[in-house]
Amino acid sequence: MSRPTDDTLEESAARLHVTSKSSGAYETGPMKVVGKSALRLDAVGKATGATKYGQDLFDKKFLFAKVLRSAHPHAEILGIDAGAAKKLPGVVAVLTHKDVPGTNLHGLIRRDQEVLCSKKVRYRGDAVAVVVAKTEEIAVAALEKIQVDYRPLPSVLTMEDALKVDAPKIHAEGNVLGEKHLRRGDAPRAMREADVVVEDTIQTQTVDHAFLDLEAGRARYDGKMLTIEVSGQWLHEERRLIALALGLPLEKLRIIQPATGGAFGGREDISIQIYLGAAALKLKGKMICLRYSRSESTIVRHKRHPIRVHYKLGAKKDGTLVAAQITFYVDKGAYASTGIAVMRKASSHATGPYKVPNVWVDVLGVFTNNNPCGAMRGFGAAQTAIAYEGLMDRLATKLGMDKAELRRKNLVKSGDEVTTGQVVPYATAVECFDAVLKRIDWKNRSYETPAPHLKRGYGISIVCFGLGYGDGFPDASRARCRLTPDGILEVYSGACDVGQGLINMIAQIAAEEVGVPLEKVRPILSDTALTPESGSSSATRQTYFTGSAVHIAASELKKQLQDIAASHLQELVYEIKIENGVAFNIHRPEKRLTLKEIARVGKKRGFSLEAMGVYKPPTMPENTQTGQSMRAFVTYLFGSHACQLLVDTETGEVKIERYIACHDVGKAINPDQVIGQIQGGVAQGIGMALMEEVVMKDGKIMNPGFTDYILPTIRDVPEIECIVMENPDPGGPFGARGVGEPPLIGTGPAILSAIYDAIGTPIRELPATPERVWRALLDH
Amino acid sequence: MKKPAKTKTITSALWSLRFKLNGKKVSTKVPPTQTLLDFLRLELGLTGTKGACLEGECGSCYVLVDGKPMNSCLMLAPQAQDCNVTTIEGLAQNKKLDVIQQKFIDCGAVQCGYCTPGLILAAKALLTETPHPTREEFLVGMEGNICRCTGYNKILRACEQAADEMGLKKK
Repeated sequence: MSRPTDDTLEESAARLHVTSKSSGAYETGPMKVVGKSALRLDAVGKATGATKYGQDLFDKKFLFAKVLRSAHPHAEILGIDAGAAKKLPGVVAVLTHKDVPGTNLHGLIRRDQEVLCSKKVRYRGDAVAVVVAKTEEIAVAALEKIQVDYRPLPSVLTMEDALKVDAPKIHAEGNVLGEKHLRRGDAPRAMREADVVVEDTIQTQTVDHAFLDLEAGRARYDGKMLTIEVSGQWLHEERRLIALALGLPLEKLRIIQPATGGAFGGREDISIQIYLGAAALKLKGKMICLRYSRSESTIVRHKRHPIRVHYKLGAKKDGTLVAAQITFYVDKGAYASTGIAVMRKASSHATGPYKVPNVWVDVLGVFTNNNPCGAMRGFGAAQTAIAYEGLMDRLATKLGMDKAELRRKNLVKSGDEVTTGQVVPYATAVECFDAVLKRIDWKNRSYETPAPHLKRGYGISIVCFGLGYGDGFPDASRARCRLTPDGILEVYSGACDVGQGLINMIAQIAAEEVGVPLEKVRPILSDTALTPESGSSSATRQTYFTGSAVHIAASELKKQLQDIAASHLQELVYEIKIENGVAFNIHRPEKRLTLKEIARVGKKRGFSLEAMGVYKPPTMPENTQTGQSMRAFVTYLFGSHACQLLVDTETGEVKIERYIACHDVGKAINPDQVIGQIQGGVAQGIGMALMEEVVMKDGKIMNPGFTDYILPTIRDVPEIECIVMENPDPGGPFGARGVGEPPLIGTGPAILSAIYDAIGTPIRELPATPERVWRALLDH
Repeated sequence: MKKPAKTKTITSALWSLRFKLNGKKVSTKVPPTQTLLDFLRLELGLTGTKGACLEGECGSCYVLVDGKPMNSCLMLAPQAQDCNVTTIEGLAQNKKLDVIQQKFIDCGAVQCGYCTPGLILAAKALLTETPHPTREEFLVGMEGNICRCTGYNKILRACEQAADEMGLKKK
């Protein structure tokens, strides 16, 4: 094949030059480290097997823990008898709720989940007891000897059942987690006055993160400090939650992140950390290990919310959108997790990149006895994009209009308001969209196929995504830069690298700002005892937030280094430049000091040689009635995808022939890693669109393993052509925005749009498996 | 050694095992039900071999057994008797990375890195048997491995570049 897989650096650079807006503030001159595809600092360890992940910290001489899970989706606990289990040779301890010294409660937004259940279980993954034994085998055997006296309660497995007046209450306050509303203009009236109205109901599925590195780690309490080594996504928040649940002062708890094999939102909720902590507190001085099996990981961990979206869209004859009325029913599963934030993200992104003057949105989050649902890459916006793009396709058909033209006509432009009423100063939806249309040669697309039973389709999607937590939720990153006596630039941040490439992002920004080669930077990450809090690795926020904090800290440190060099060399400080690890006078380069010399001189003169950076741009809470917020998010990300595929009308199989993804990342700190994020996000989007589905029956996951939970392989993912656009964002480091979630969000809708184009009938229930596509063809 | 449990199970009797691991002879005793994966990781401390799905679907635990990629999570340790086993730790020779490892690093094919050892060994087996694989042969050789981060594009590129370089060296 002659088509490029993705763009080489040169190609990217050439194009970036063309697409970048010339903005005076960003004419920083040629950069030496930022914008370069430096090799990953952690790659050699990973490629040789030397890198230690959670499960690699085990040793046979440590104790092993196992967790007893609920036998029912919904039941009262009348009593727990661990007598027989405790007597089993090799068992060291059995913990129940009575052994959890603190509140015994956790939960990211609402503390509604017990560490070890005392009175009630609400789903099959609920934890009832923890066994600690000399070996894992003994711990497993002991689990079976724990007698739990349950009184099964009727389980609530669908949202319809949960909302019935006489439905059993899953939580004391009822089965509704909460509501989100958005009122903008008069949508019902505008809908009545619209020339054309389309409406549909779309059901998305439960999706699993399926990261490869199963939850595993170890903990030890030495009497002074409880140290937990487990991968998470926000160590400092985990520390707060664990400290509260276990009744431990914050300063007695240290969390260290081992290397992490993927997260995708799946490590946001507390997992094994809290059981390990409780067990370690009870068994002072003992190192305790715990790992999940694949099925336990799948059964316990939260999932992507299945959402039923009822979407009604009205337009004028010329295609101008006038109204949208949208209702989301969100199956929360058993616990709140981050659900309310996911619901808000669904409502604030309800019309995506499209300008609609009248929008009414209602979101209802409903508890069931299914798996709790929470964060996963896309966070409510992924399901929403499938709905709005699906409706745009339906509208184009009804209007007899080209679907690209309809979209282009309604896209948000710089200075327009999005659904929340927030003005987006720099919108590049049109630029991204035009780039993919040009690349796929939209006007000349061909529907000729090799055989009559094969139908070709073309799909397009556009993403507009609010970055960060938004809506006034405190969102800050901190970083510290320090020059060591041997002239190494250390960068400290509590942010977690979960595989996305945060280590390089941080190191490259610091190197660029201070003026040192990348190999002179030592990033020190994710250890609550050493690193300042940098928020979560989620919401596509780390480049923008932690990248900025590092940029600020590095800039502060650089000023100090320049001061030291200037006073030692007796030169003017504004004539001192630091380049390649050497400070020199720009007019007299022979007047120079290496960083090692600066460190020596600076220390003598009493300089701290370190600086802190904090980045905390404000957002504003939404009006709870109208969902409006002048500053719902710090900034927005734009992207666009195009997909060409073939549908086999005899089998319903879909084969993606060509995939193009364009994302405006502001500035690619490391272009190669940006492309990796785009391609990885698209691959996960392919999984969500075509194959991945957690099947639940009676509150039980029927496919808790990779044999039945189907993930994309190398054969399912085509070459993904990436277009990296760089229109700098004033708030990001060197203009960078972020790229984590938008590639996934764009993929599902582009594929579904292409299937609709090929077969002429929409797929209303995800994923679009061969069977569903085949049935859609039959019904057509 | 730990005391046998009172209820005598088959696991309490150890089997002797002799095989070649990364070029060195190993002679030991193992519980007959222990997987090769657990044996390598827990008994020998070779943690480069990763367990992820633990049911033979994802290839993270690949080791080469007589040159063939095998899911070590599905293989019992005694099945390695008299075999020649290579793990990711045995791939670099004299501290010099194998060309496939180097290409994975150079091409950005390593992200979270958890699938990387298994994929590198899959590629090693493929390229040892088929020095100039077609695109289809690559897909056949690599489709037993799941990667959740990269979208596979860079992995494929790394393998193709490694094949080119290995081909050049042979001339």
